[in-house]
Amino acid sequence: MQKWKKMLVIIGITGVLVAGAVVLYVYLKPHRDVAKEKAVQLTAQVLFDAFKSNETEANAQYLDKAIELNGEVADITKNQEGNTVVNFKTNDPLFVINCTFKTDPGVLQPGQTITFKGICTGYIPDMNIVINEGVLVK
Amino acid sequence: MKFVYVFLTGILLLGTQAEAQKVFGTRNGKISFISPTDEDVKATNNEVASRLADNGQITFSALIKGFKFRYAEMQEHFNDQYLESNKFPRADFKGNIVNLKEVNFTRDGSYKVTVKGDLTMHGVTKNLTANGTIEIKGGKPVASCKFVILMKDFNVDASSITEKVNVEVNCAFQ
Repeated sequence: MQKWKKMLVIIGITGVLVAGAVVLYVYLKPHRDVAKEKAVQLTAQVLFDAFKSNETEANAQYLDKAIELNGEVADITKNQEGNTVVNFKTNDPLFVINCTFKTDPGVLQPGQTITFKGICTGYIPDMNIVINEGVLVK
Repeated sequence: MKFVYVFLTGILLLGTQAEAQKVFGTRNGKISFISPTDEDVKATNNEVASRLADNGQITFSALIKGFKFRYAEMQEHFNDQYLESNKFPRADFKGNIVNLKEVNFTRDGSYKVTVKGDLTMHGVTKNLTANGTIEIKGGKPVASCKFVILMKDFNVDASSITEKVNVEVNCAFQ
């Protein structure tokens, strides 16, 4: 085979391999598994106070972080996809920490104190703080 | 004395007004979007906080980091590169039902609505009009609507991925 043809074949194969690697990287990279992450431990009230007093600072500290939250269950519902959602009480009766489970936590009761681990996605003033992709710790 | 009367009447009026208005809410409404040119570019947020009042006022708040993609890598790009969710963590909509007279919140049924308001996202506020439906079932509303967002309207340079996304809102209120 002529030298230039060989070169062309090598370049072609390298190109295909690189493109394949990029596609695999984009499509196969796994989602975060919060159960395996080390989390910041705090209570529902401490998290609420942090966001209420300074949203920007609290965002820098907690946004996208794994949070292990301890608090009293206000109510238990299901979201529109059928996942379990627990709202944690704060000292503001209209404000809760809204926590969505990715795995079924089993039977929970309002008034129970539980520890939930998930990823904090942020603060919605006058409504709630959102933590999702969560699991029950205890 | 006259002042006291005026004051009392004022309080009474405020009281009746507050009582007359009914506000429905949810913390777990759903907003999803999909690119019309690449169906892998789609995501859903199931933690949309929304309030709907029977005077026609409607608000939605969605945290950008709450949008879940099928592919983790896309989710990361969406947050870091395009929507810059550390800097702009939330999208907020505040608006009104334009044809409120056609909606009866006390009677079960499906009502076509037009909603007009301001959407703030990625640091940009844009006026938006969308057509949707409010369905009252057992006295509780479910609001749904569809609209299109042009990425460049919100200063998002995603032209290599998609120029626009089709957005779908579905909120079941309590």
